[in-house]
Amino acid sequence: MIWVSWRQHRGQAIACLAVLAALAVYAILLGTSMRTAFGHDALTACLARSQGTACPAAIQAFTNRFGSEVNIAFWSVVLIVPGLIGVLVGGSLIARELEYGTWRLAWSQTVPRARWLAVKLALVTGGLIVLGAAMTGVITWYRAPMDRLTGHLQHNIYDFEGLVLTAYILSAFGFAVLAGLLLRRSIPAMVAAFIPWLAIRLVVEFVFRDHFLAPLTTTVNCTQVCGEGIGFVPQATGRIGDLVLSINGNVVTYQPADRFWTFQFIEAGIFVALTAAALGATIWLLHRRAA
Amino acid sequence: MTQNDTGGNIPALRTDRLGRRYGRVWGLRNCTLEVPAGVIAGLVGPNGAGKTTLLEMIIGLLQPTEGQLSVFGETSHAPMAARLAQVGYVAQDHPLYRDFSVGDMFHLGRAMNPSWDQKLALARTDALDIPLKRKVKSLSGGQRAQVSLTMALAKRAPLLVLDEPVSSLDPVARLEFMREVMAAAAGTGLTVIIASHVVSELERFCDWLIVLTGGHVQLAGPADNLIAAHRLLTVPRATTDAELPGLPVHRTDSDRHSSVLVRADPGRRAVQERPGWQADPVGFEQLVMAYLQRPSKSAARDDTAQAAARPGPNTKAVTR
Repeated sequence: MIWVSWRQHRGQAIACLAVLAALAVYAILLGTSMRTAFGHDALTACLARSQGTACPAAIQAFTNRFGSEVNIAFWSVVLIVPGLIGVLVGGSLIARELEYGTWRLAWSQTVPRARWLAVKLALVTGGLIVLGAAMTGVITWYRAPMDRLTGHLQHNIYDFEGLVLTAYILSAFGFAVLAGLLLRRSIPAMVAAFIPWLAIRLVVEFVFRDHFLAPLTTTVNCTQVCGEGIGFVPQATGRIGDLVLSINGNVVTYQPADRFWTFQFIEAGIFVALTAAALGATIWLLHRRAA
Repeated sequence: MTQNDTGGNIPALRTDRLGRRYGRVWGLRNCTLEVPAGVIAGLVGPNGAGKTTLLEMIIGLLQPTEGQLSVFGETSHAPMAARLAQVGYVAQDHPLYRDFSVGDMFHLGRAMNPSWDQKLALARTDALDIPLKRKVKSLSGGQRAQVSLTMALAKRAPLLVLDEPVSSLDPVARLEFMREVMAAAAGTGLTVIIASHVVSELERFCDWLIVLTGGHVQLAGPADNLIAAHRLLTVPRATTDAELPGLPVHRTDSDRHSSVLVRADPGRRAVQERPGWQADPVGFEQLVMAYLQRPSKSAARDDTAQAAARPGPNTKAVTR
């Protein structure tokens, strides 16, 4: 069964490796020049000394040079890429068998279809976890210099570091597998899975994420420019990496930088739970439909 | 389990009031059948008669809504793997993975069937001149059918189920396909159930006949016994059904005469000559056509059909 699953998903595995390789090449080129620039501008020492307040010009120069490449290029792509990978792999998993009639072949061998599905899901899920971890690793490595200025908790940085990127891929995959069983067609299943995936992804990010834990408040004396967003180093709280939610006079509401992993676990947990629900429903439906 | 274990009294297939409902529509209902081990059974019926429903329940792709089913003693409640091991299946249109090579398909067969016979698979493709490296999508329709059949045979299951195996093939490929099925069955005592529209094809190869219309079994039993139990009568048009020496199956009225296909009925007088009557033996195709044209409500679940269905596996016909 392991060979069968591998043979059927070989093409997809190669395509995923190609995507990963392209990402790695881009990341190595950009990451290397970022590291060089970071060392050249002696930003490390400045950050350690003063949280960046002592060298605004150097920071400005660095973010001007790399900020747009880091943020815009990835923001648009990375938002949907995990979903695309997930639905492309998941949409065909069952639907293709139903479309081409090969389910009659696959499920009339001696291996019962429950085991057929279990082995396939286990292997493909495992492959996607490896892919997600590799993508996360590449992105985290190359972004490291920039992250020292902005921290990891900001939107569109948080989204592809830690655990959530992998969880996004898995949930899109789970939705698409279930949609494939229900709709019996690959392409409609991919579309039908992608839309709710994107909706949930955006709602979680923009409605729930900032309130996974109750935000903290602090009073600051805004002698320098006080503002929200990635462009400000340090953040209005005076520390690098905090996520500022709002500034009201002298009162800053924020999520502290050290909540990164807690938030990652919460958000990844949400998407892994959705994946488990979708795959569980698939297993149950397939069992009930015919057994 | 091999064919040798099942040579005794266990029938290859036994169903008891088997039924399957799709939503509110019954795909098959009240189907009671017995197919002894070792026969080649033809399953005939129009589209939507319930043939595929019956076959998919035999294989385990569908679960019955009601009634019982057993294949070589394994009921529909037995573990899935035990049931699946009993049946080799060639589905309609011979589904195979298009981007697999023939060798890959056999690798799949070996990976998914503990009883897989790789030697048999290789010997067959060698004899048929199908290269193992060839991709499925570049095979001809006939070759694809042969690869499907090879996969079902190499599974080494005691029952082979073929769903419309030749309907998509040209006449030469049809003949070659059926010849391969017969050769495999003759050598191993395999039981074969073939669903087909091509009645003439079945006549040549089947020694057991099942006619299904509208989800009901019309006729089932050894083909020779069924043929012997029927007569085609030509009678004056005024003759009523009650006067006939047997159950009328199908009646065609012309100006003066009626042509009636009747089944011998122990409760009535034997078929005999009367002045002005003519009794002829029926042919296989004639018999099947008569039952196919019958309204599906008048399913033949009466004594004659059951009695005809009883004789054992040694009634294998000489039509091979």
